[in-house]
Amino acid sequence: MAQVKEITRKLEEIHKKIKAEIPWEPVGPTPMPEIPDLRQWDMRLLKTYAPFYAPFCDLCCFCTYGKCDLTEGRRGACGIDIATQQARFVLLACLMGCSAHAAHGGHILEFLIERHGPDKKIDLGTFIEVEAPNIRTVVGMKPETLGDLVIALDYVFKEIGHLLDSCHTGQEGSALDYESKALHASMLDHVGMEVADIAQIVGFGYPTSVADTPLVELGWGAIDKTKPVILVSGHNPATSTVLIDYLREHNLEDQVEVCGLCCTALETTRYSDKAKIVGPLSRALFFMRTGVADVIMTDEQCIRTDTPQEAAKVGSAMIACLDKAMYGLEDATETDTDEIVRRMVDNKEQFAILDPAKAAEVAVRVAMKIAPERKKGWLTEEEAIELAKKCTNCRMCEQVCPNLFNIGGGITEVAKGNFDLIRQQFLQCIGCGKCEQECPNNVPIFKIMQTAAGTETWKCRAGRGPVMDTEIRNVGAPITLGTIPGVIAIVGCSNYPDIGDIADMVEEFAKRRYIVVLTGCAAMAAGMKKDKDGLTVYEKYSPNFDAGGVVNIGSCVANAHISGAALKIANIFAALPLRGNYEVMADYVLNRVGACGVAWGAYSQKAASIGTGFNRLGVPVVLGPHSSKYRRLYLSRKEEDDWKVMDARKREIVDTVEPAPEHLAYVCETKEKAMPMIAKLCIRRNDTPQGRAIKLNHYVSLYKKYISPGLPEDLHLFVRRDADIPLVYKKEVREYLQKIGWKPREPIGLPTLIGTYPTKVPIDAVIH
Amino acid sequence: MSAVIPRHRVNVLTGIKSAKLIEDPVEYANLIKKAKRPLLVVGPLLLASTPDGKILMEYALNIAKACNIPICATAQTKGKIVELGVQPDCVYDVVEIVNALKDPDWKGVKKEGNHDLVMFFGIRSDLGNQGLSTLKHFAPHLKTMTLCKHYFPHASYSVPNFKKDEKWLEFLEGLIANLRKGD
Ligand code: SF4
Ligand code: SF4
Ligand code: SF4
Repeated sequence: MAQVKEITRKLEEIHKKIKAEIPWEPVGPTPMPEIPDLRQWDMRLLKTYAPFYAPFCDLCCFCTYGKCDLTEGRRGACGIDIATQQARFVLLACLMGCSAHAAHGGHILEFLIERHGPDKKIDLGTFIEVEAPNIRTVVGMKPETLGDLVIALDYVFKEIGHLLDSCHTGQEGSALDYESKALHASMLDHVGMEVADIAQIVGFGYPTSVADTPLVELGWGAIDKTKPVILVSGHNPATSTVLIDYLREHNLEDQVEVCGLCCTALETTRYSDKAKIVGPLSRALFFMRTGVADVIMTDEQCIRTDTPQEAAKVGSAMIACLDKAMYGLEDATETDTDEIVRRMVDNKEQFAILDPAKAAEVAVRVAMKIAPERKKGWLTEEEAIELAKKCTNCRMCEQVCPNLFNIGGGITEVAKGNFDLIRQQFLQCIGCGKCEQECPNNVPIFKIMQTAAGTETWKCRAGRGPVMDTEIRNVGAPITLGTIPGVIAIVGCSNYPDIGDIADMVEEFAKRRYIVVLTGCAAMAAGMKKDKDGLTVYEKYSPNFDAGGVVNIGSCVANAHISGAALKIANIFAALPLRGNYEVMADYVLNRVGACGVAWGAYSQKAASIGTGFNRLGVPVVLGPHSSKYRRLYLSRKEEDDWKVMDARKREIVDTVEPAPEHLAYVCETKEKAMPMIAKLCIRRNDTPQGRAIKLNHYVSLYKKYISPGLPEDLHLFVRRDADIPLVYKKEVREYLQKIGWKPREPIGLPTLIGTYPTKVPIDAVIH
Repeated sequence: MSAVIPRHRVNVLTGIKSAKLIEDPVEYANLIKKAKRPLLVVGPLLLASTPDGKILMEYALNIAKACNIPICATAQTKGKIVELGVQPDCVYDVVEIVNALKDPDWKGVKKEGNHDLVMFFGIRSDLGNQGLSTLKHFAPHLKTMTLCKHYFPHASYSVPNFKKDEKWLEFLEGLIANLRKGD
């Protein structure tokens, strides 16, 4: 009885927070879910998509009981085993990712509430009514003002506290429960990201309810070095938007170049199409070492920790603008502006300035003062050849390169005047700088690579924020029926096997009339390749969220609009209520929405939480080979696993046999392997025969193009009836199916996992 | 290896247990010949050619042929293997085959039971090493071996880092010759 009372009190409290009395939709079973509330859903997912662990290290060194050896079935002094330790590590990574976005959201929100007040209305334009699908689904609230977003964030921060607590020594003893917690943390990440980006759109007036945002310049060659150059680096646009404001107010926008690295670049170009994108994080060190930036302003996340040292080396001034990274610098937030400018110019001092307006003024004044004195130029090929002659091809650099590149070979060729190898290596290089650090002969590898990089420029479409409700109405039916073969979300960082892979993937799927959406560094990398006519994918394909569209959604935090689009399909198109109704939404997405995430260069903890958040929502993610270092994947074993679903119309459990989608978190070694895999992971149980035939057509044709002339080995698992067979391959597939003794399967009316595991959600809830 | 290292001595690459480094092709050949149900997993690095124009995959196929070892083709390697006139015994991606191998009840490629020695050849070093770690920790029922030119610390047996490609190719030639010799 006491327990019932407690639950009622808690529920009442939640209802108060989410303003349950506003009846826009009935409140579902899990508003503001806590750790146990969606655990059964997680366990159902993890039953089919079991965690696959690849430990980096045999040990755990989390506490002073250890180090503990966890090999050969040994447990640590606290009792933990190797699998659970990996899961704990994954949870920690997801928590870091979630915290980074939520804290970014919190900072932006505070900044914007200061500027506009908490009652500033959330208005995302004419074509977006479902403004915050993640917040609506998870939190159960419809945010109407900036102040409402604070309620959503407070909930996220509270959950982060509980989850982080569970990582303490001597608590959770189950890998699966840690995974459920990681899924929880990552779902929260999508809430935090949504808060951040909605606040930015509303508070900074970013484009919204529009598809054809401007095409902006990409590549360091686009930067006019003759002007003072300010580089903004990181993710938080509080710094860069205020900088642009300052330049506009002082009529300096055309006299000072603003360029950006990583997501701040994307944010800045959403604010001003005059700003330039230098490139993703993998280009950061290269660009800094050119010395082209007169002033470097860092904010947060994915900025290099050695920025002050690198800036000093080339004579760039440097300001740390956010408390997340103050680099041991003097906090000059309260210091007189003239004095800071003087000390930066005369003494080459670096400062932390946490007031964006002051930081902007200082940056502009310092840049204008020092730029005329600084020599800024690209290294010539002749100079590179001279520098390369110091290389003895000792191959020390190769030993430390995470990609084991034969950099010495590349440099030796440069010494002979041949730049071919180094150019190819540059495209695959992640810009970590380890090679140069190791070189016993002090060969300036990065400088030499600058020449390989060249000064080519490209185009990137400015990020556009949420997918419009009108677009969802148009594509809802073709996506869930399968006639638009899939939505491919190419997201995340730049730890690529080859930077050109991204544009190739976009091209391959846009050409096949999938919908391709992009965010973060991947959105930039997509623009960094031209076809034979000199066009990038942004110039070639429509910016609409429709078949064959290539859509830059925005920075990392804009990933919430991709999960949001999946939720909107369930809500707007299928008319399922989303308020506090996560399980039903995720079940819908898993069984119906043919979407696949591709985090080809994921390296960060934020990418871990973004991806894992997609996984909880039933969206599979393909990762690049480096991502095996995340330590955990979610894999099924197609022929052996449980592919049973409830047919909600007939109320009976059916064994579908088909692994659709086959995996939730999967690593591919090469682009060639990833292409058919991505197409396969768009297959859903709900596909109509026509939709399935289209999806299989792409699966087979990509397999033939990239793997082998035959048919995919698992094709039979995805052919339910003869009508599923793609027309072009009808004869070949029929012969194959006959040879292996394939039998047609009964159609399923309404596939759902609800009803196949213990859950409070009634089967009726999935019927729309 | 762990038995001879005092508990407080930890190697930086893996922690406690790292691959036995073997430089002698005869020793490698003997380990392979001793295995009851070996498997050769080949990866996309074998699609490259040696300076004298030989495709690295040919080394792999020769190793398999010498001892009748089943081949698992990962990534996009199947096409090239078929082109070279061999039908791979199975096609799985590297994480899929590792996932299957860690199940002691898996019936193996030939449906004769799980494998006791798995050789990896031509997989990128980061991905390969992570997969080997999975098997080291979760597949105590089998041993792993690598044939690439770099040391893979998470394997059971690995060759050293070869500074010169010729030395590595020599090792592979030696291995093939020894495998062909029979017992
Ligand atoms: S947390 Fe557990 S396993 Fe890790 S060092 Fe402490 S006692 Fe050992
Ligand atoms: S900077 Fe590039 S080449 Fe150098 S070690 Fe890093 S990845 Fe390798
Ligand atoms: S470490 Fe330096 S000298 Fe040695 S190969 Fe690399 S670049 Fe050349």
